[in-house]
Amino acid sequence: MIEQLLFWVFAILACGGAVAVVATHNVVRMAFWLVVSLGSVAALFFLLHADFLGAAQLLIYVGGTVVLLVFGVMLTASGPYNAIPTSPAEGIVGGAVGFLLLFVLVSSIGSVDWTEVSGRLPAVPAAPYLVDMTLAAKADESFVNTGSPRAKAEFAATQQQGRTVRQLGLGFLGLRPDRHLAEGDGKGSASGYFLPFEIVSVHLLVVLIGAAYLARAKRRVVPEGSMNVG
Amino acid sequence: MGDIGLSQYLMVGAVLFVCGVVCMATKRNVIGVLMGVELVLNGSNVNFVAFSRYTPLGLDGQATALFVIVLAAAEAAVALAIALNFYNNHLTIDVDRGNELHG
Amino acid sequence: MSETTGKILMLLLTAAWLLPLAGFVVEIYWLRLSHRLHKGAAYCAVGCIGLGFLCSLSALLFWGYQNNWSALTESDHHAHAVAGTAAHASGSDQQSAVKHEEDDDDDEDDGDDDENEGGHTEHAHAHADDADHAHDPHADHAHAAPVRKYATGTYYELARFSGLRVSLDWYIDSLTLVMFVMVTFIATCIHLFAIGYMKDELTEEYEDHEVHLHGGGHFSRPGRFHRFFAYLSLFCFSMLGLVLAGNIFQVFIFWELVGLSSYLLIGFYIERKSASTAANKAFIMNRVGDFGFLIGMMILWTSFGTFQFGDRGEGAHAEAGLFTMVRGHDGKLDVSEDGKQVYLRNAEGERAEKNGVPLTISYVLLVAAGLGVFAGSIGKSAQFPLQTWLPDAMEGPTPVSALVHSATMVAAGVYLAARFYPVFTPEVLLGIAYIGCITLFIAATIAVVVTDIKRVLAYSTISQLGYMMLAIGVSGWGAALFHLVTHAFFKSLMFLCSGSVIAGCHHVQDMNRMGGLRHKMKITAYTMLIGVIAIAGLAIPGTSIGLSGFYSKDAIVASAMAYSELNPGHFLLFITPLVTAGITSFYMFRLWFLTFAGAPRDAEVYEHCHENPRIMTTPLIVLAVLAAGCAWGGEGGPLYRLIVDSETVPAVNRVISVGSSHVTLPSHQGHESDVHHVHATAGILALVSALIGMAMAYLLYVKKAVDPHQIRMQFSSVYDFLVDKWRFDALYEVMFVAPVHVISAWCVDFDRRVLDTILHGAAKVTVIAAKWDRFFDETFVDGVVNLVGNVTYTVGNSLKVVQTGRLRQYVMWIAVGVIALFGALFSAIPK
Repeated sequence: MIEQLLFWVFAILACGGAVAVVATHNVVRMAFWLVVSLGSVAALFFLLHADFLGAAQLLIYVGGTVVLLVFGVMLTASGPYNAIPTSPAEGIVGGAVGFLLLFVLVSSIGSVDWTEVSGRLPAVPAAPYLVDMTLAAKADESFVNTGSPRAKAEFAATQQQGRTVRQLGLGFLGLRPDRHLAEGDGKGSASGYFLPFEIVSVHLLVVLIGAAYLARAKRRVVPEGSMNVG
Repeated sequence: MGDIGLSQYLMVGAVLFVCGVVCMATKRNVIGVLMGVELVLNGSNVNFVAFSRYTPLGLDGQATALFVIVLAAAEAAVALAIALNFYNNHLTIDVDRGNELHG
Repeated sequence: MSETTGKILMLLLTAAWLLPLAGFVVEIYWLRLSHRLHKGAAYCAVGCIGLGFLCSLSALLFWGYQNNWSALTESDHHAHAVAGTAAHASGSDQQSAVKHEEDDDDDEDDGDDDENEGGHTEHAHAHADDADHAHDPHADHAHAAPVRKYATGTYYELARFSGLRVSLDWYIDSLTLVMFVMVTFIATCIHLFAIGYMKDELTEEYEDHEVHLHGGGHFSRPGRFHRFFAYLSLFCFSMLGLVLAGNIFQVFIFWELVGLSSYLLIGFYIERKSASTAANKAFIMNRVGDFGFLIGMMILWTSFGTFQFGDRGEGAHAEAGLFTMVRGHDGKLDVSEDGKQVYLRNAEGERAEKNGVPLTISYVLLVAAGLGVFAGSIGKSAQFPLQTWLPDAMEGPTPVSALVHSATMVAAGVYLAARFYPVFTPEVLLGIAYIGCITLFIAATIAVVVTDIKRVLAYSTISQLGYMMLAIGVSGWGAALFHLVTHAFFKSLMFLCSGSVIAGCHHVQDMNRMGGLRHKMKITAYTMLIGVIAIAGLAIPGTSIGLSGFYSKDAIVASAMAYSELNPGHFLLFITPLVTAGITSFYMFRLWFLTFAGAPRDAEVYEHCHENPRIMTTPLIVLAVLAAGCAWGGEGGPLYRLIVDSETVPAVNRVISVGSSHVTLPSHQGHESDVHHVHATAGILALVSALIGMAMAYLLYVKKAVDPHQIRMQFSSVYDFLVDKWRFDALYEVMFVAPVHVISAWCVDFDRRVLDTILHGAAKVTVIAAKWDRFFDETFVDGVVNLVGNVTYTVGNSLKVVQTGRLRQYVMWIAVGVIALFGALFSAIPK
């Protein structure tokens, strides 16, 4: 019951913050509402048993990205540029398009029977023997092996509730504790995220260097002797 | 109140996504546009994590969401750098002024 | 002759041959070495040719020493019939002599048989006889390859096409040696004479009185003394190369070089229209003959696969030369039964075989080859019908005329015909005889009426060349070459004399303006008289002592008489030279009387005329001595024996022809020969004829018993005909030049009317088509292209407003797009 309540609270906060971001004109206020919205999303993550992701959301978005945006505001939007007004017509058109899009999305979401869809998915988590041996030992294997897919998913979910740090870490090292290696065709479905992780890390490094290069202070007066440096 | 399920989370994600899109479409401030982008990304993230929770996909959703966060951070950094350059060149951050490539 | 002897002779003659070439190179670049006014070029030329003469002479002496002068002492071995066999068995050279005798023997047998059967048995018959003799111990001997009387070898092989060789060869026999000595000696004399004659050219400003400029003055140019001698040296080099050449291809090369040299020299005064025309005429007329020569050469090469004259190599590796291939070693044509094929021989004299099939050449082809080669001789030796270039060649300086008419150019034709005697079939020989006969008569008659001193000599040259050709045709091989050498001496002498007269009289050449010059030009007059007597063939009646021309002409007339006795149908071949001997005597004495005797007809010429310096008279005296004495002994003398030492076998024996002509060639040597029978008679007849000619000249031009003018009036049509040179030039004008003009005019008309019309029409059509094409291009093609471009541009232009550059709008469009996509999706997918 408390979970439901919390969901609704944070869902409304997140949606409301997002709408407020759209609605306000002042950049600083927009940043504030953004913080509210993103923080609520982090809370939703926790509700979804994604504890590490929620923490990352808070750290990176709320603590990092938004601060970065505010710095950007500080460096650029001084004085009159803090709030650049949008014409009402644009606002109306934007709103109309937004509502239409929302309608499309919501109607799509509503028209799908998610239970049935998830049941059709092939990936059934095997016994989480690597994750928590003690829990796995206690599990009723006959129930697990004979139950419906949904039961299996729920079982697995309850087994891993809010304890995703170790699993993600192993996943990024190339191991998948929540998958049986012999599953599926046994070739690729049980692979970890080692390679994407590396790619993303290098990507991040490159982007940061590039950002630093782009944002560096330009020297306006070039000394005579260094013209050829360019 | 009813039972909380996948649909509710997807609704939240949809709202965030639409808000982001509208934000991008209406804000003339570069920072505002960036904020819209963040909102869009967050909306999708909510979806990923919700799928991770309510479907047998397991950790895949969370891992993807994590990548999205990282990429969003990177994108924000670069976008801000570009915005700073834009500001240095145009002495404004109005995206409507950056229309040198119009037809 | 032995190989070592041949090598040494080759080295000596090669030196003599190449020295003039070295001289030519030096002289043609004389201006780089020295001054135009310097006489060094002349001395260089004289030195080269003189050294060449010494080399040639030493070669001849060396050759004679090596043979113990057997050629001189034993040339009458044919006379001793078979009895000589034992006597001559010792010397290696005499082996062939032995063979000759046996051939004689066989042949005489054959001849007897043939006469019994009506005189035209085929050669196959003769071969049957040979087969009968096969058991005879002599038979082997007869077929064994005799020791060669020549030496041959290769300087350098230019190319080889699977058995066909093209090479620079040398071929030396006694004829080569005699020709070398004769050519170099006469050339030396002429060079010396030319030093004096050409001294006018030793100037920076030579005024040519024959070339009239439009302004009224005369053309003047720098003197060309050195160039004249350079050309002379080139001429000598070419002629010597021709004589030394060891294959027919090489002969052809030097043949053309001789033609080129004569072209350069005849056209020496190139600024004179007449000189350049004469040079062209000589060159083109020669090309006509050379065309036949080329054809003959091609036939020979295709049929025989070789250009070589002589055999090469020894034993099994021996390669047969042309002569051996045709004649073998017994001198007979090996004609097949049906008379259509001639079997070729190998180096042993047997029938040549290739893969078991005997090699043959079609008899007709062999005749064609002979006629072709002789056509070359016709051109070069100015025989009928190509004789007209030689008189015009008088445009060259007189020393050139002397050289051309005696030792080099015209001699080359006779030399070639003589060299190729073995290849000529009796039919070809008959043709040669008639050509020579016609030529000698025509030229002699023209010479009677000509008044230009040099032209008289020119026509006499043609006439004498006709004698030589006639001699070759009637198988008087030795007589022809004998006359060639003697004629070279007395004709060069006479030309130099005439040159001396011309130089002395300041370039007056018309005999009508001379007369009585013997008082002023003693040496010239009396040396000239020696030449005249020599060419007229006079001798002391009752003895056989005369000057050189007497002996050689005697030999020719005797051959002709023997021939006409054996072939009564061809009596003209005897009558004509006999009559012409009288005419020759007449016009030569006419020349001398008109020039040197009597009273001066042109006082001015007489006043200014003078004897020439010693450098010009010395050669005259030397040549006069040789012209008088070179043929000493006649047909028993050294010169004739030297020449006939290399006489080819077929010229010696009596030969009965096959085919359609049915001629019998007289046997030639020995006291039993056909010629010997008639020799005395022929000599007396020729002498009588010559004496009559001389007497008539004396009566007409010295005693004035009859006024020549009256005769001229009496026979004016004949006179005009002769003055017009039998109208040959007119005939050629009508036959060749005029038709060419007409045809050219037609061609021009055709060009103008038809071709030009077609071309212009085609051009117009093209222009019109191009205009239409342009219209089409500009209208349709360009239109389509422009349309595409315009449409693209317009569409792009109209669409560019979509690209506002406004970021937010794009985002909006994305959103709208997504909505539209979804809408479409939902409406399309059935529920």
